[in-house]
Amino acid sequence: MHYAFHFNVVWDHWRELAEGAWLTIELSSLAMVIGLALATVCAYAKATGPAAVRWTIAAYVEVIRNTPFLVQIFIIYFSLPALGISVDANAAALAAMVVNFGAYGTEILRSGIESVAHGQIDAARALGLTRLQTFRHVVLFPALKTVFPALASQFILLMLASSVVSAISAVELTAVTNSLQSTTFRPFEFYFVATGLYLAMALGFRAIFGAIYWSVFMHGQRS
Amino acid sequence: MSNGLKHFGTAILAIVAALLLVHPAAAESTLDKILSAKKLRVAIDVANPPFGVLDKSGEPDGSDVAVARQLAKDLGAEIEFVQVPSTGRIPALLAGRADVTIASISVTTDRAKAVMYCNPNGALSITIFAPQSVRIKVPADLVGKRVGITRATLEEATVPKMAPEGTKIVWFDDLASTVQALLSGQVDAAAMTAFAEKTVSDANPAKHLENKLLVTTAFYGPIVRPGDFELRQWINTWIFINTQNGTLAAIYKKYTGIDLPPLPTF
Repeated sequence: MHYAFHFNVVWDHWRELAEGAWLTIELSSLAMVIGLALATVCAYAKATGPAAVRWTIAAYVEVIRNTPFLVQIFIIYFSLPALGISVDANAAALAAMVVNFGAYGTEILRSGIESVAHGQIDAARALGLTRLQTFRHVVLFPALKTVFPALASQFILLMLASSVVSAISAVELTAVTNSLQSTTFRPFEFYFVATGLYLAMALGFRAIFGAIYWSVFMHGQRS
Repeated sequence: MSNGLKHFGTAILAIVAALLLVHPAAAESTLDKILSAKKLRVAIDVANPPFGVLDKSGEPDGSDVAVARQLAKDLGAEIEFVQVPSTGRIPALLAGRADVTIASISVTTDRAKAVMYCNPNGALSITIFAPQSVRIKVPADLVGKRVGITRATLEEATVPKMAPEGTKIVWFDDLASTVQALLSGQVDAAAMTAFAEKTVSDANPAKHLENKLLVTTAFYGPIVRPGDFELRQWINTWIFINTQNGTLAAIYKKYTGIDLPPLPTF
């Protein structure tokens, strides 16, 4: 089999690729921030809320963690208009990513929360701190520190999984790559470059998370 | 001394001759490989009614599939289907996963830069359709409307060119998603083959879908990898024979419900 590589075609389209990669970064970062907030609320409610709330959150987490991301995206995108909500593909993709990351994040944070020694919580309560105050000041920070590497990994997985939102017409990196390969008929060149871009983004985010971990959790720590 | 040289020369000649014998005369052509393995790998798209679909038992069916089965039978080869989405029809071929793609792939000059076309074995039209309530009479009416199209199809190659500036074109990876977007209201109109349009309209009478604009009419044919001239020539011969004996027309009529137009050759 002979295949002549023509990478110059790729450079002709670098702007579209860069725009696609940027949307991937935007979607993933926004989904991370909003999803982490959602996960924190859910993890708190699951740890301290009444039984009905705990069961609802457990159901949410299990449904999302045990169904394919692509199916979740299709359900959100194709069923929203039936509910009278008109959103474009990017908004639907973001919503799906937030819901997805929220569920995984809840479970990751739960393990972090459970790792905080009970004596510390009892001590905080004995000092007169409310449940919320205890959670904010005594539980959350060490819990986050414990699970930070797991959260960072989950974020990278989310960013890579975002490649399937091209299925609902969001124009992120994979969608751009698919369009370019199907109009230029140079599939290998474009998929190679897209692979390289995903790898670069993943390594870049890992470096950023490493820096955050060091500056927030390690820097200036005495013990 | 001279005797020794002679023996030495004879020995060299013998070695060279032996090397020539064991060395294959020339690289085997794809057609040779198909014939010796008795296996033909055909890339098909089963999400593109009525050309490629899955029947109730999950087996590939449709006019492309019927053509591929008959072609393999006449070639004396067992058929192996390589199911691909519309975006994979050319990559699967170029990557060597299939020997030929038979997936109603319309003849365009751009595609011909990447693959070699055999003679056409069918024709199709691309149309834009939408619910009755959406007002589209002329191309200018598309301005401001969201029009769904599928990547790596003839509609992708033609609709963006005919649509006036201001049309919001929305790309999907497969026909099923494009159809779902139209039915769910995520797009105002969609472009696809007239046959797919009919399948969708018939299956969803409550949506009152109607044909709005004819985009283009084109011929489609099997594609092979660049340089596979022997295979292309055999397929062209097969298309010639089966145009003459009416097999292609019968398959086309069975799946599309209309008569096969006269097929040009090139």
